[in-house]
Amino acid sequence: MGGSGRQSLFAPFGVEARYQLSLTGWLVLAAAIILVGVLALSITGIRRKGKPIGHQSGIRMIWWLGAVFPTVTLFALLVVTLPAMRPIVAGVDALKIAVTGEQFWWRVGYAGPQGGVVTANELRVPVGRTVDLRLEAGDVLHSFWVPGLAGKMDMIPGRTNRLVVRATKAGVYRGQCAEFCGLSHALMAFDVVAMEPAAFDAWLAREAAGAAAPVDAAGAAAFARHGCGGCHAVRGTDAAGMIGPDLTHIGARRSLGAGMQPMTIPNLARFVRDAPSVKPGARMPAYPQMTPEEAQAIARYLKGLA
Amino acid sequence: MSLHAQDDPALREAQEDRLRAVWKPPEGLFLRWTDTNNNRVGVWYVLTAFGFMLFAGVLALIMRAQLAAPGNDLVNASTFNQLFTLHGSMMMFLFAVPMFEAVSIILLPQLLGARDLPFPRLSAFGYWSFLIGGVFVAGSIFFDAAPDGGWFMYPPFTTRTDLSGLGADIWMLGLSFIEVSSVAAAVELIVGVLKCRPPGMRLNLMPLYAWYILVVAVMILFAFPPLIAGDLLFEMERLLGWPFFDAAKGGDPILWQHLFWIFGHPEVYIVFLPSIALFAMLIPTFAQRPLVGYPWIVLAAVGTAFLSFGLWVHHMFATGLPKISLAFFSAASEAVAIPTAVQIFAFIATLWAGRVVWSTPLLYAVGSVAIFVIGGLTGVMVAIAPFDWQAHDTYFIVAHLHYVLIGGTLLPLFGGLYYYWPLITGKKLSDRIGRTAFWVLFAGANLTFFPMHLSGLMGMPRRVFTYPAELGIGNLNLASTVGSYLFAFGVLLVCVDLALSPRRAKSPRNPWNAGTLEWLAHPDDEDWGIRSVPLIESRYPIWEQKDFVQKVDEGRFFLPDAEEGRRETIVTSVIDARPVQVLRLGAPSAVPMMTAIALGSVFILTTYHLYTLALVGAAATLALVLYWLWTGTAEIPEKEEKPIGHGMVMPLYISGGSATGWWAMFITMLADATAFSGLVFGYYFFWTVRPEFPPTGPGFDGPGVLWPMVALALTAASWGATVAARETHARGGVGTARILLAFGVVASLAAIPAGLAGPWLSGMAPKLHVYPAIVWTLAIWTVAHSGVGAIAQGYALARSIAGRMTPRYDADVRNVTVFMHFMLFTAVVTYLTIGLFPEAS
Amino acid sequence: MKRGLGHRVRELRVTLWTLIVPPSVWAAHFLFCYLWVAVSCAKTGGFERFPIAFVIGTLGALAIIAASGAIAWAQAKTPGDPPPHDEGTDIDRTRFLAKSTLLLAALSFVGVLFTAAPALMLTDCR
Repeated sequence: MGGSGRQSLFAPFGVEARYQLSLTGWLVLAAAIILVGVLALSITGIRRKGKPIGHQSGIRMIWWLGAVFPTVTLFALLVVTLPAMRPIVAGVDALKIAVTGEQFWWRVGYAGPQGGVVTANELRVPVGRTVDLRLEAGDVLHSFWVPGLAGKMDMIPGRTNRLVVRATKAGVYRGQCAEFCGLSHALMAFDVVAMEPAAFDAWLAREAAGAAAPVDAAGAAAFARHGCGGCHAVRGTDAAGMIGPDLTHIGARRSLGAGMQPMTIPNLARFVRDAPSVKPGARMPAYPQMTPEEAQAIARYLKGLA
Repeated sequence: MSLHAQDDPALREAQEDRLRAVWKPPEGLFLRWTDTNNNRVGVWYVLTAFGFMLFAGVLALIMRAQLAAPGNDLVNASTFNQLFTLHGSMMMFLFAVPMFEAVSIILLPQLLGARDLPFPRLSAFGYWSFLIGGVFVAGSIFFDAAPDGGWFMYPPFTTRTDLSGLGADIWMLGLSFIEVSSVAAAVELIVGVLKCRPPGMRLNLMPLYAWYILVVAVMILFAFPPLIAGDLLFEMERLLGWPFFDAAKGGDPILWQHLFWIFGHPEVYIVFLPSIALFAMLIPTFAQRPLVGYPWIVLAAVGTAFLSFGLWVHHMFATGLPKISLAFFSAASEAVAIPTAVQIFAFIATLWAGRVVWSTPLLYAVGSVAIFVIGGLTGVMVAIAPFDWQAHDTYFIVAHLHYVLIGGTLLPLFGGLYYYWPLITGKKLSDRIGRTAFWVLFAGANLTFFPMHLSGLMGMPRRVFTYPAELGIGNLNLASTVGSYLFAFGVLLVCVDLALSPRRAKSPRNPWNAGTLEWLAHPDDEDWGIRSVPLIESRYPIWEQKDFVQKVDEGRFFLPDAEEGRRETIVTSVIDARPVQVLRLGAPSAVPMMTAIALGSVFILTTYHLYTLALVGAAATLALVLYWLWTGTAEIPEKEEKPIGHGMVMPLYISGGSATGWWAMFITMLADATAFSGLVFGYYFFWTVRPEFPPTGPGFDGPGVLWPMVALALTAASWGATVAARETHARGGVGTARILLAFGVVASLAAIPAGLAGPWLSGMAPKLHVYPAIVWTLAIWTVAHSGVGAIAQGYALARSIAGRMTPRYDADVRNVTVFMHFMLFTAVVTYLTIGLFPEAS
Repeated sequence: MKRGLGHRVRELRVTLWTLIVPPSVWAAHFLFCYLWVAVSCAKTGGFERFPIAFVIGTLGALAIIAASGAIAWAQAKTPGDPPPHDEGTDIDRTRFLAKSTLLLAALSFVGVLFTAAPALMLTDCR
């Protein structure tokens, strides 16, 4: 089958997903045994020659196989799996991260001193530390799903849902919106980077800093001229919009457009000039009046915001 | 009439001529469509539902083509969203449920030895509503205006008019219309099973199919109304801006999910149990013995029906509700597997206890059980919340639900088609084509859906129009696509087999040597349904009652004649099927069709915001319904009673608790009360989820206590007047009864402004916040009932004055009283809730 | 005395309404549990482990279902032919309804136990 397995229950990197994978294995095994049993009994019932069984034997079959066996099995299953519904306990030292689903991207905020750090479309978590995710929705329903980390949790306007997770293995993974949310529902993914705690702390400190100096002054000027700052924030500059993703360190992110494309200058240029062609239904409009050169300059500027 | 009279062939022939004349279908280009005979309406119904199934299947094929490879661009996101929304909605609302109703409309009278169902015109009305609503919803895709919010239509995406266009209205209004027709069919089928059984067919002798129909129709009665209530709130938000699902104004999108899934989960069993019912008919036939464990099957059907209403939150496992709430539903979701297992083992035990005759229908039955069991087992898996948190909203669920629906609905229906085709057409289908088709379908289903279990757990969410290559699920999806086309080829083979049928020779009567009543049907069938209504003494009368078929054919049982030139059937008691009445049935009429058109116009015109025209349509609907009732119901017969044979004499008119009309009113009002409880649930739901409900502050004044109490008093007075009218009328006090009814009309009408005065005088602004919106909704719902109550009371009064209702023939006032009981209940709950609850909390 | 009781029990009428008593009790208990938790969690953020209402409600539900099953058990043993009870007689009809009620009572009893299990194992509103 191949594939990177970055977004798969079969490549777990979290406590919950590991449990869910082993649960899946046991359930599939039990289901397969029961299936074979039922089929064997049906086929034998049709093909057997000999004397038919009597009415009372038939009733006994219904009683033992149809009633008693499922009752006992299912009750045992219930008792065994109920404790697993208890969420991981998030202590005071748990890292709090707020994730808000928007059409069609993710707003991510890390709690911390000075109001924390806001970023987008990339979730970084320290390995071994409990993470307390606060999930909200900005517009419509979304669902936060990182198969390798844990089960999914819906994001609902007006509610704050909690999902407590703990990563066990460093690596780069992927998550995706799992609740239908509109035209680009299929194009709403994000990268998940599980990092060693020291590396994570260093990354968070970098992320908390303001934007780097523009590598392309013309790009920065075009960015301002086209009013990009009305929707996007670049901390340390005049751009302070809250409608779209925060771009302070966009150049350091792994992907563009909520997990859609590698973060390269040509991809950026295309997205800046015509976002709806990449993401149908996105709130960011196309800028046909923007020249390709301007778009290139803005893309260079953004890539430089590492 | 003595038994021996039937020895005379001349008499029999004269009877047959009269029956033939009475049951002669209307002819002519237009008039033939005014037929109400269950045989014909049932066949139209089946064909229409089958057509919608093929249409929805083609939509699925387009989707599978799009998903064959990663990053494919055969269709764009907008089209894809319309495709999956319409595919799911049509398969559920335009195929699975109507198909069950259609098949039952054909089969039930045959199974019960009745000439027709008790309300043939209601069946016709249901059919035309279904056709109009179905074409309206399905046709929208040709205008690129199909609903695109998923078959579950979750707000706020779908309630925000800036995000979802006309499609959402088409879904809500078009399908609400069809839901109304489904409830109508449920009323028809429940009364049919309870009241139109042949003499002697006690509850313990009822064919299991009838048990299942009873159970499923009752489920429809309690499952569909919450969705209708949800639809109402939904459209009020879309059309009027009342913020039921808008969190910013105190609403909550989760309320819709509750109302939708309270419908949606029982729905799964509503479409599954009828297929099990088909198995319960055909397995004994091919095992050539009675089913083992008859009471077990009844246990399973009734038990499943109850448990299925305790599962709905398992569709909401990921919404962040407290884990213990989820656990209750997880427990019930596992418990429901017990009755399902009982059913399957009752069939297996029957096969073991019989001498099995191998046949095409049995092949379909066993094959579909195999597929269904896979779906059932994955169902137990997803009932376990920790597993579901992964599987939920992924292709694993797509696999699960299609295993359930193909194994539990589609293939059993094909099995039923091969089994019952000779009953309907007098001809068998081809075993060769049928078996080939089965194996193609079986292979296609597994090739399509088995890989989806894996693609889901490997990260493929549902409702995605494309997926990236890096997920590594390209090959799995390609296999699914190939499988889906294979499956479609199987369906095509079945269609070819059906198309060849007219060229084939007639098969003998009862070709499978079955034992149940419906196989009395003759290949050269007459329109009268059954020659004489038999006395039943066994579950398998054709096998076990002596000379049974011959006696039926020679008219030696009940009602072998139609002396007065009227369509008639026998009404019996609920438990023991003792005859109580000869019921005069509705003859063919254009009124049902016209009523369906008028009611359809209300829904369709509202979709396009043409409110004035919609009001005209509503007035036309009311006028047609009143005309229909006035001319077609509670008709005073020309004589008190008539003989039905064997020295038995039955009344032609009964009223009250043993009459079919009373039952129909009672059952309809149960559905009405269920919809109302959905709205009341909304009120208290907002109270639980919002810390401050009712909210305080300027603009949030409640309706006060006074006016709701005045409205309640007026409604109670109206109710009391009606009950008193019924009682005095029965004792001959016609004049007093008329005065009481007139007073009732006035009290009901006065209750309308009184009910609205509370929210109106307090200046409650429904667009501002969900609290005024839900208060207004409850008040409007209740005063609308007062309005209908006034019309009903006025109707009874008019009937009395016109001489169409007398103390002996008093069905009208008795049925109106049933309505009034429910109206009082509605008023008590509404006015206490909006008037007193704010004071208490 | 004992025979008298059994006889009186058999005299009780069995109808479609008595058939659905056990599952209706299950449904009422289920709704009660769900609402108890939903309202407690929404309004107070927690619930008592074993509030008297929950314990009494569950035991009461089990008792009604058991009683309904016991009555049905007695009625199902109304003397007559051996099973299957598929004759068109009053006795067979009664025995059929009683047998079905008994089976439904068994299912409902198990159902109530299933529903109560979560309250024993999950203790808070998370």
